This record gives sequence, structure tokens and C-alpha cells, in this order.
Amino acid sequence: MNLVNPAGLWLAALAAPIIGLYILKIRLRREPVSTIQFWRRVFEEKKPRSIWQRLRHWVSLALQLLFLLLLTGALADPIFRWQQGQGRRRVLVLDDSASMNATDVAPSRFEAARAECRRIVDGMRLGDETAVIAAGTPPRVLCGLTDHQRTLREAIDAATPTDGPTRVDEAVALARRLLSGGPPGRGVVVVSDGGFDGAAALLKQADVEMVAIGGKTANVGVTRLQARRSLLDPVGYEILVEVSNASDGPAECRLELDLDDEPVDVVPLQLKPGERSVQVFEKTSADGGLLRAKLDRGGALAADDTAVALLPKRSRQKVRLETAGDLFLEKVFEAMPLVDLEVVKDPEAKPPATPPALTVFDGRTPDVLPPGPVLVVAPRASNALWKLGESIQNPVVAKQDGDSPLMTHIRLDNVLIPEARKLTLDPAAKPRVLVEAGGGDPIYAALERPEGRVVVLAVDLDKSDLPLQTAFPIMATNLLSWLSGTQGELREALATGSTTEAALPVETVPEAVRVLRPPSGPDRPLPAATGKVGLGPLDLAGIWKVVRRTPAPKGSKATTDDGAAEETLMELACNVADRRETDLRAPEGLEPRVEPALAGFFRRPLWFYLVACAWALTSWEWFLHQRRWID
Amino acid sequence: MAQTTRPRAAAPLFDADFIQKLEYLSLVSRRVFRGRLMAQRRTTQLGGGVEFADHREYTPGDDFRHLDWNLFARHDELLLKRFQEEEDLHVYILLDCSRSMAFGDPSKFDYARRIAAAMAYIALAELDRVAVSAFAGGIFADFPLTRGKARILSLLQFLEGLPVQDGPTDLARAARDFALRSRRRGLVIVVSDLFDPEGFERGLDVIRHNRHEPHVVQVYDRREAEPEVKGDLELFDVESGAIEKVTVAERNLQQYRAIFAEFLESVQRYCKAYGIGGTCSPTQVPFDDLILKMMRQTGAVA
Repeated sequence: MNLVNPAGLWLAALAAPIIGLYILKIRLRREPVSTIQFWRRVFEEKKPRSIWQRLRHWVSLALQLLFLLLLTGALADPIFRWQQGQGRRRVLVLDDSASMNATDVAPSRFEAARAECRRIVDGMRLGDETAVIAAGTPPRVLCGLTDHQRTLREAIDAATPTDGPTRVDEAVALARRLLSGGPPGRGVVVVSDGGFDGAAALLKQADVEMVAIGGKTANVGVTRLQARRSLLDPVGYEILVEVSNASDGPAECRLELDLDDEPVDVVPLQLKPGERSVQVFEKTSADGGLLRAKLDRGGALAADDTAVALLPKRSRQKVRLETAGDLFLEKVFEAMPLVDLEVVKDPEAKPPATPPALTVFDGRTPDVLPPGPVLVVAPRASNALWKLGESIQNPVVAKQDGDSPLMTHIRLDNVLIPEARKLTLDPAAKPRVLVEAGGGDPIYAALERPEGRVVVLAVDLDKSDLPLQTAFPIMATNLLSWLSGTQGELREALATGSTTEAALPVETVPEAVRVLRPPSGPDRPLPAATGKVGLGPLDLAGIWKVVRRTPAPKGSKATTDDGAAEETLMELACNVADRRETDLRAPEGLEPRVEPALAGFFRRPLWFYLVACAWALTSWEWFLHQRRWID
Repeated sequence: MAQTTRPRAAAPLFDADFIQKLEYLSLVSRRVFRGRLMAQRRTTQLGGGVEFADHREYTPGDDFRHLDWNLFARHDELLLKRFQEEEDLHVYILLDCSRSMAFGDPSKFDYARRIAAAMAYIALAELDRVAVSAFAGGIFADFPLTRGKARILSLLQFLEGLPVQDGPTDLARAARDFALRSRRRGLVIVVSDLFDPEGFERGLDVIRHNRHEPHVVQVYDRREAEPEVKGDLELFDVESGAIEKVTVAERNLQQYRAIFAEFLESVQRYCKAYGIGGTCSPTQVPFDDLILKMMRQTGAVA
């Protein structure tokens, strides 16, 4: 056994004056009395304890010397040989993943883990250094290596649980970097429920000590919720829901699906041990809304009992078709449920005051194209965007731009095109050739102009079988989607812990601030740069919002408490969607330990118990002295 | 060898005010006290006094001068008149001058001397004979029998000049000394705290057995009855010089109070058992009040 602070032994020198005072005996206060005979009779009654009367003086001395010995030992801070091998620099890796929100341990696994961390910090001795890392997304250092216990406790108290996945491996790597250069030892203490891949392997690491929280708890959760547009119904959605039974026994629950609190479907589920049930639902809705999947008996983890997805609103688009009478084009646009078609057969008709979502010219080409998006089919004349050339006989589709959203799900290489017109596109219009003939002539191209986008198809539909192909209505659908921009774009639900990018509009107001608003908690500022902005990591399940805050002009009605006007630019759905987090069963070999990993003897260092004994001894001696059992 | 210490009096023990109080007590005693405390103890010897006492039948040889001829004329009975023979009362005052009497504020010794002076003054005023004996381990000073009020000043000077004596109180030895010196029976007033290590009873027994009439005036200080000392102490007996190291707690104080009260009670029990007059008083009671209290105890006043 060694002493951390040998200089503390000097305190034992106080024994000399204590013994001296006892030997010399402190002179008692003399009280003259007229006769002592009555006092003698008082104290004669205690004669049977005369032996103790003689001894109690020395018992008092022994107690005081014992008290001094305990204090001296506490100050010297003894350390046992077996303790010397332990690393005195520790990094606590606190798991704050979604599974740590499970309530099988009251009040939650995360709170239990935090309590363990506090106990470890309380057990630090003089000269010990400890750091705290949160194993979240991404792992971050909550407090660097320090011997200041209060700072460590504050860092632990400030830690908050997330709904993200566990990143223990990365956190352990970060902890090792913090400990690099120090003496070898079990310096990394992972306080986790073991709900991550590689937990068993981590247990075998020489420098890692695991403090397991929680036990084998059954849980059922929604591990996937995604929606996509129906391939059959233009305003319909297909909804995929996956429910996992992460338990060793069967589970019964009910899956409820609702859209903006309107029930979509309710499915009772009977799941076998470890079974994953995948359900697909169909829903038609032009208005969209918040799609929510709920389990009524999910288990100890609430975060995976609910999953959300956002279905965008599909607004109706006005299409003006100026044609001499092409039935296919008319029928294609008529078939689209979200299209309000206006067919104009009079070539002298005046253009509308406000441009429609799409103006289609079939077989005629005005000298000046109207403002707004325009589709020109089989152009008949040149204009500022192209020059019409010779006809091309039997052109063969040689190249398609598969990356363009206009060409999604389209293949035109088998389409019969008896004749097309050669087009020479104006480079100033930034033409993008979507379909190219064998000779390099554009057949289908998109052009840019300030008044609106223009798409030109140099194929005469009356002579081609393109209207009979399935690609034709898809071309029309892609065109309308492309022209409408991001409106109605379906964003997939993200998994917690992930990051994403969003294209935000150019900010014109210098005072405007854009923030990322989590489902709970304070806003997170976003960079003011235009263009794509990185969002995340999204570590909480629920609906995240990108909010634009502008100071309200004077006299206007403020929408928030601080007088700022807010506008939601974007919403993102975020779910746990992690089968590993849903599984609350600790891996084999990782059992909750009764005694936490601590730096000292028992739960606290030895000096703590020495001081406690000294305090108890003082109380006892005070009691005995008050009772006059000792001097 | 016992040492003597004269108490240093900041003020004269018997000042003018004290003399006035003595005069007052003397007047009061003439009215209510006479024939009670002292006269009650006048001799009952019948003889040639002037005060008629009783009749008895004539027996041959009696002096014819004592026949009650008036009674013979009326009843034809020869009866002799008996008269109470007047005899001077001897009042002995035994004053405790042990070191324990110097205890208290005012000291028990001063208090006792005032009581002794008052009793002597009343007796002298009644033309009784008074003697004062000062004792501690034994009698160490005497004021011989004297008579007449004019002797009061000498007696006061004697009392004022008395010192307290070191050494333990021995009432029995003092009583034996007193019995040897005073063969004439009389009233023996013992003014003491009665802190005799061997017990006060033996001394009073000696007085009684010598056919004296003892009267006990027990004085004590309130601090003796209810001490307020606490904690670790070295108790020092001012008489014997004995030292006792004790730790006094509230429980010990309660025991002490009970023992002291029992001591006072034992004195009263003794007096009652042998028909002795006994008065007990703390020094905080004015001495003249104590004298009046003694008168009330004798039944002179209600």
C-alpha cells in the first residue's frame, strides 16, 4: 500500500500535544464548598463503576488518538497495490442513443447511465483525470480530461438523450485519442445498454470497461415508414410500414395509420419472436399531410412506437393546349387528375393574362413564345430559341439523357419515328438535349429563357407511334413535375442521426435568419449561405422544420413572442427506424453489474470512509462525553 | 493547630440600625415573648416566692405561716399555699465559628452573630443571665455569664471580635466542654450550620443529657441548598481542606438538593422527637424576621 499524499502523515504529530495534555491533566476549576459531605454522598452512588471511572480517562484519550489516526489516514490518502495498476485517467463514454430512453430502468436507462457516471466522478481521487464523451451522432466530447469534479458533474448533467443510433465504436476511438500518451490501463469506461453492434467484441478489449445499464427487455417498434407515389394512381401513395418484434416471445399489438389524424388503416398484428412484419398501404390524397404510424403496445421504448412521414400537397395545374386537333395530346392531359386542361383550336386566340402552368403548341409555332413554361410539339417555324432545318427521315434514337427528371422511366429507342425536323438550338438558351438522333440532331430538348422554360419535341405525333407508347403519358407527367419545381416533391422520411441537404431559396432580407427547429428543444441556427444547406444530424424523432425568421415591421402583428415573423420553408420527417435501437435486449455476456466501475475502494476512495469513520467517532465521543461516560 | 481568621468586615457588624432593631425586638418580646420562650423555662421549683402557684394538703411539720387561713375558715380544710420560687434564667449561646460558617453572602457567621446578639439582648433585657461560647473543633472563646442590659455592649464587642476557626466542626466536643463549664441548667441556644462530619445529634444529645434545654438555630446559605455549579470541578472543603474531583451534571445537582433537604429535615425531625425548639433559616432572611419567626414557633403570636 502506498500513500498518495505522504505529507499528510505530519498531522499525526498532533498526537504529542494531545497525549501531553492528558498526562498533565488540565487543571479543574476549583469550587469551594462549606462542606463536602453531601457531595460525597452524591457521588458515592457511583462507586460500583469506580473501575470504569479510572479507565474512562484513558478511553477518552484512546478515542481522540483514534480520531486523529483516521484523519491522518484520510489526509495521506492510502492507495492499495491492486489499485495502482488501474489507470487514473479515464474517459466516460455515455451512450445517449435512442435505446437509452427505454424506461425498463426507472426513470430511464439514460438517467441510470448518468447516475453511474456521477458515481464514477464522485469516486475520483486526488490527481485523477476524467473526460466525458457522448456516444451520439456524432460522438462529441462533453468535457475534456479534468480533475475538477464539479465541471464533470455539470457536463454529465447537461447531457441529453437523443433518438439517434449508437456510435460507441467511434466514441471509443475518440476516447482512445484523448488517452493517447498516458499509461496503459482500463481507461475507457463505456456506460451503455449494449444496444449496438460489436458490444460483445468491445467487452474483450483490454482498455475498455463496460458498465451495462438495463437488461433483456422486450420491445416492439416501427422500424420503417416510407411513402411513395403510386405508380397507378397519380394522386395516390403507397405506404410501407415495418414493425419489428425485438423480444424472445410473441407479441400482439395494433398498428394504426392516420393522415392528419384521419384514420387510414388499423391492423392488428401478431408477431412471432424476432419477426418483422412489413405492411403496405395505399392511400389517395391530393392534400397530403402528416402520416403517422402508431403502435398501441410498443414496449419500454416510446420513441419507436410512432413513426411519421410527410405527404406533400398536390396542387392542380392549368394546361393550355393550342392545337389543330391532336386527340392524343388532349387525351393525355385530360387523363391527368391534377390538370385543368384548356384546349384552344383557334389560332387567333389571345393568350391569357396570367401564364398557365404549361402552354402546349402542337403543330403551330408562334413567332414569339408566350411567357411561362412552353411545350412545342412538331415546331413549324424558327424562333429565337431554335432554327428549324430540313426534315430527317426515319431518325433513330441514339442517346437519352437518363439523368434528367424529364426522362425518368422513359425509353424511346423502340419508338417509330418516320420523320422529324432538324433543329439548331440557340446556345444562349442553355439547351439540354434529352433525346438525340443518330446524327446528333436533337429530337427532344429543354431550353432556358427568362420568361420560362421551353421544351421542344421535334416529332410529328400524327406520323409517329409515340402517342401509342406508354412513354408518352410518362413524358407528360415528367414534364409537369419538372416544370412545377419542388412543389409536391415527396421527401422520404429520414432515420435519426442522419444528415441531409436542402436547397433553400435565395435570401433577400438581410435581417432574416434561418433556423432548424427540432421536434423539441431549442432552435439550431443554419448558415446564411444560399443554395444547398446541410441539415443535421437529426438526432430526434419527429418533424423537423426549416424556419425563416424575419423581424416584424413596425405596426405589424408579430407571430412570435420576440416579435419576429416566421415562415416554414421546409419540413422533414425523422424516425428512429433502427432495428438495433428497437432491440432492447443486451447482448450475451453483458449483464448489468451490481457494483459500478469506480476508481477507489468500494464505491468511493478510502479517504472518504476514513473521514466518515472519524465523523462517526466524534459523534460517539460527544455522546459519551455528554453522558459523562468518558472524560 | 487550628488557625484563626478574623473576618474583614466592610461595615460594622453591629451598627446603629442593628441596635435599633434589638431594641424593637426587646419591646416586642416583652409583650409577647415573655413567659414563652424563656419564662416557660423558668424553674418550676416552688418555694418562697411571691407568685401564688398552688395549694396542697397540710402535713405535720409544715410551716404554719403558709397555711391558707381564709380557706380553712370557709371550708374547714388545712391547705398550704404554695408560691413559685423565682429564679434567674441562664441563657447559654453556643455559636458555631467553624470555617464553614464563613460561607455565603452574607456569610453565615455574620448572620449567626447577629442572631446571637439579638437573643442575648432580649435575655439581658429580661434580667436573665447570658453566656456565649464560641466553638469550632471545641470551645475556644467564652463570654462568661453576665447579667444586666448594660453588659450588652461588652457582649457585642466580644461577638464582633470572634474569628472563624479552621478545622472540622465538632459539636459533641464543644457540648462536652460546655457541660463541664456550665453546671447550672439553662436554655442552650445552638447557632450553627450543623455541618458536623460526625453528626449533629451527638452534640445535642450531650446538651440534653446534662439537663439543659437546647434550642437549635440552624442557618444555611441558599447556595448550599441549591448550588448552581456544573461541569468538571474540583470541590474544595473549606473546613477540612479535602478535595473531590467530580463532574457535576444536572442529575447530580438534583441528587444534591434532595440530600441537603433531607439533612434539614433530619434536624427538624430530631428536634421534634426530643421536644427541642428548632429554627431553620437561610441567611437571606433578615435576622429580625428570624427572631419573630422563632416567637411564632413558640406560639406567642399567631
